[in-house]
Amino acid sequence: MTGSDIPPADDPARLPWLSRQLLWVDDKRNVDRLVWALALVCGALALADFLYHKHSYFPVENIPGFYGFYGFLMCAALVIAAKGLRVFLKRGEDYYAPLTVESEEHPDADLGRESVDA
Amino acid sequence: MPELLTPATLYFAAALILPFLPKGTLRQTLVLLVPIAGVGVFWTLPEGTFSPYNLMGLHIGLMRIDDLSRIFGLIFSIAAFLTAIYAWHVRDTIQQVAGLLYAGSAIGAVFAADLVTLFVFWEGTAIASVFLIWARRTEGAYATGMRYLIIQVGSGVILLAGIVLYYRETGTVSFTQMDLGSYATWAIFLAFGIKCAFPLLHNWLQDAYPAATVTGTVMLSAFTTKLAVYALARGFPGTEILIYIGAVMTLFPIFYAVIENDLRRVLAYSLNNQLGFMVVGVGIGTPLALNGTAAHAFCHILYKALLFMSVGAVLFRTGTAKGSELGGLYKTMPWTMVFCVIGAASISAFPLFSGFISKSLILSASANEGHFIVWLILLFASAGVFHHSGIKIPYFAFFAHDSGKRPKEAPRHMLLAMGLTAALCIGIGVYPAPLYALLPYDVVYEPYTTSHVVTQLQLLFFSALAFAVLMKTGVYPPELRSTNLDFDWSYRRVLPSVVGGVRHAVTGTWRFAARVALHRVDRMLVGIYRAHGPQGLLARTWPTGSMVLWIAVLLGMTLVLTYV
Repeated sequence: MTGSDIPPADDPARLPWLSRQLLWVDDKRNVDRLVWALALVCGALALADFLYHKHSYFPVENIPGFYGFYGFLMCAALVIAAKGLRVFLKRGEDYYAPLTVESEEHPDADLGRESVDA
Repeated sequence: MPELLTPATLYFAAALILPFLPKGTLRQTLVLLVPIAGVGVFWTLPEGTFSPYNLMGLHIGLMRIDDLSRIFGLIFSIAAFLTAIYAWHVRDTIQQVAGLLYAGSAIGAVFAADLVTLFVFWEGTAIASVFLIWARRTEGAYATGMRYLIIQVGSGVILLAGIVLYYRETGTVSFTQMDLGSYATWAIFLAFGIKCAFPLLHNWLQDAYPAATVTGTVMLSAFTTKLAVYALARGFPGTEILIYIGAVMTLFPIFYAVIENDLRRVLAYSLNNQLGFMVVGVGIGTPLALNGTAAHAFCHILYKALLFMSVGAVLFRTGTAKGSELGGLYKTMPWTMVFCVIGAASISAFPLFSGFISKSLILSASANEGHFIVWLILLFASAGVFHHSGIKIPYFAFFAHDSGKRPKEAPRHMLLAMGLTAALCIGIGVYPAPLYALLPYDVVYEPYTTSHVVTQLQLLFFSALAFAVLMKTGVYPPELRSTNLDFDWSYRRVLPSVVGGVRHAVTGTWRFAARVALHRVDRMLVGIYRAHGPQGLLARTWPTGSMVLWIAVLLGMTLVLTYV
């Protein structure tokens, strides 16, 4: 984003202090760095299995990095399976309308909408 | 203060007084003070049953104090206190009264020493809580509330039937451990199961919680289902079938949570998944496992409330809780984001957060008993809950693609409520000893061993890596505005269409039969008309002269016949 098209609300100087500390996540390169750092931590944790005596209940736990690989594979499988389920389960938001809250707006009486410089 | 009978009395009394107080600080202070006073009622009492009396030959006990009821009573009171802070801005009398009655009923049910008292408060939670959904005041919320009420009251009716049968069988209504095996105990088990959102009985939860008001959902998340967990832990510890029911409960909601768009419904699915862990703990039934259930319920109420509070704050400020409409909110709601992440880390059981020190008790208990498959499922469910609650909720609400929304930070009282809850989540995670001291059984358990910490971190970081990889490669399903069919499709679509079909067939048959019958009747009427109508043979009018003539003929004939 160039300096000219930053709306006033997004001027870093006007954001809360805590948000300013996190602005780096908007940069794609930093996200990539974060992913690599995550991969590095994962590698280190897998290797850490060789450094201590694991107290295990089941033989399968003694495979080095078992928890890590199990977690990775199952999560990937979970997401892909869930994505597949969408083919069968996905319907429009007004599928049950009008007997559902999904197709209606949340009533304003229950809200306290306020935007910053909107 | 045993003369107060039960802490529920305080809540009910406050609910009676509240409408007569002026709206504003005075009311809110009352709502805030009641839970503190409620804890004061039971905290100092020694173990035992108080306020017993005899009702038509039934031994009623309103107040049973033991370690199990005390820990649930405490966490329910804390939840009532925290939601009172969170709901400081609410000026709706209905929600305030319903909230007090709801929390009071839940706490009353926890201290019930007999099944009749349990039933009364059980129904109390159902009836009071539905007003938190209706308080949204829309057509959709009305319909959702009706579905919720039918199922909740249904659970109560089944419970009552079970209690009646149980009394006939055993001659007592005291609420103690029961064995599955008779109609009575199965009915009671089923009633508990409905409220605990067992698989296929679960849809009321995901249906109703996202339909309530911003603050109502936070209240709903705390009481109803955990009351059911308490009832199962009291009534059916060590019932083997619960291990498998619980394992299925941890498993299937996570698939829905991944593709669900409404973040409050994602949380409802993950709530269902967390209940599964507690149900497995009850099913295993060893002291370690039951401690795990109690501890997990305690921690779960806090971090789940925290997550609902943070998503509620987002809804409060932006008007939506849908993942597809949100993103980039960290820029203007950073504190809400931080509290959401703390809740996410707690539910994901990161070391130093509350979920870690409670969930590992249940996992260890299942491994101790050699339930390998169940253990694998629980491990998968742990990774899965991190995936959808731990990453998905904060990521899609506060980061992901920038939605352009720049809402103001949550109001101060909401931040305070979230801050206190977050502090408890971290405090329990860092220093679990006080919580462990409250647990029902004396079991020495050390959650922070090298094995535990390293293996748990492996599980979580690799799951996070899986999320990152799937996100980067574009495999991760995007958030889409949609409805996902769940089992409630059976009674929201199939059943109505079956009923509609039957109605159509019956109406058609009736119309046909009526047409045939009417045709017959018409023809009969025409026939009668022909005979008896004005022109009919039998309705002709005869002149008086001809009648006199005929009478003369008749008399003449009689005369002739007399002389013959």
